[in-house]
Amino acid sequence: MNCQRVQESFLDYQDGALSPADASAVREHLKTCLGCQREWAGLQEISLKLDRLPPVAPSPRLRAQFYAMLETHRRAADSRSPFVAMRSRLDRFFSALLPARPALQFALACGLLAAGLLFGARYLRPTLDPATEKRIAELQNKVDSMAPLVTYSVLQQKSTTERLRIVLATLNLKQNDQQVVSGLLASLAFDPSVNVRLSALEALYPRADQPAVRSAVTASLPREPSPLVQVTMIDFLAATRDPAAFATIEGISRNQNYDQAVREAARRALAQL
Amino acid sequence: MVESVLPAVDSPSDHELMIAVRAGEIDKLGDLFERHHRPLYGFFVRHTGDRTASEDLVQLVFYRILKYRHTYRDEGRFSAWIYHLARKVAADHFRRNSTAPHATDPDDLHTVPDEAPDAADRAVRTDDTERLQAALAALDPDQRELLVLARFQHLKHEEIARLFELSVGAVKVRAHRALKELRDIYFKLSREPAA
Repeated sequence: MNCQRVQESFLDYQDGALSPADASAVREHLKTCLGCQREWAGLQEISLKLDRLPPVAPSPRLRAQFYAMLETHRRAADSRSPFVAMRSRLDRFFSALLPARPALQFALACGLLAAGLLFGARYLRPTLDPATEKRIAELQNKVDSMAPLVTYSVLQQKSTTERLRIVLATLNLKQNDQQVVSGLLASLAFDPSVNVRLSALEALYPRADQPAVRSAVTASLPREPSPLVQVTMIDFLAATRDPAAFATIEGISRNQNYDQAVREAARRALAQL
Repeated sequence: MVESVLPAVDSPSDHELMIAVRAGEIDKLGDLFERHHRPLYGFFVRHTGDRTASEDLVQLVFYRILKYRHTYRDEGRFSAWIYHLARKVAADHFRRNSTAPHATDPDDLHTVPDEAPDAADRAVRTDDTERLQAALAALDPDQRELLVLARFQHLKHEEIARLFELSVGAVKVRAHRALKELRDIYFKLSREPAA
């Protein structure tokens, strides 16, 4: 041990807190080192003087003042309103019930939140009264019935080529989707392009077995401006042999306002029907 | 003579008393006062050198115990807590006075009860005591605080380390330096001719 380490160990040496080996090393060093002997003697002396300092005692004033303060505090506590006392009891109750460590408090809060969410999801589904449910069903029907119109409106945003492509695409659809049929009938009734209307009619051929399709084509026929499409519609209705179309086609065959070719087509169809 | 000593290890009843005080049984603070007011008073006198102010500071510590009793922790050590409060009270005192502690009034020291029977010995010891008090007062306040806690309040180095938020090694080094410094000041005062 060098002098610095020995002197740093003096406090522990004095307190008897050094290991026996270290204490023995300090003792050996002190036997031979005059500087450390002086240092040790000085520390011993000042420590002894500190220990021999006479005790200090407070005057009786301190005790009197303390108990006066305690008394004041107790009176204030006794005169608290019942509400405050109850609140204090409640505080004590909850502080006894809840964990004191912040980490546990956080865990408990998370647990309660999760439990609340689970409970709410399982037992607190919103229930509707019959009147509201009925109203919602009505709105649903309205929305459903608006679907073809919406589809058609969306279609109208596109170019003729695109509309044609969409209508032709329905030719390949095997399923008899009500929405597809509604779209095709809307195109037939409202599309400004002859080509699109013709394609829509062609696409409706595989669905001609549906009475709704036949009656829609029959209803569109008098409003159709193009003789080419009128002829194709009459051929369509003749092919379906729908007796309901008879009156409409007969009217056309007699009406001079229609194109010659149209009236001839109507007469051919009447023969078929 | 060793002045009244704070137990180095908390007796469980200190902690239990404080828990009772926290729960609203404020009369139990009287028991804690009886156990601790003398050592606390010793701490303040050695640290501030002002006996009258020290009584007020002890009172203030117990007032703060009462006021902040809800912050006492279940796992807390009462002696650590009371010295934590005492250090804050002392720091506030020094800030208020914004000066170094007063050198102890020699008249005060003459009134300290001394059990030495021999009059000549008593005179020598009073001289010594005055010099030592003066040396303590001349010490850096941080060094003095640490030295008082270690030598008079008999707090363990580990407890002081927690209070000062230092390592135990750092506390030992500082305690050693403070003692050396005190010794140097004391011997310097001893060599000076008596006024």
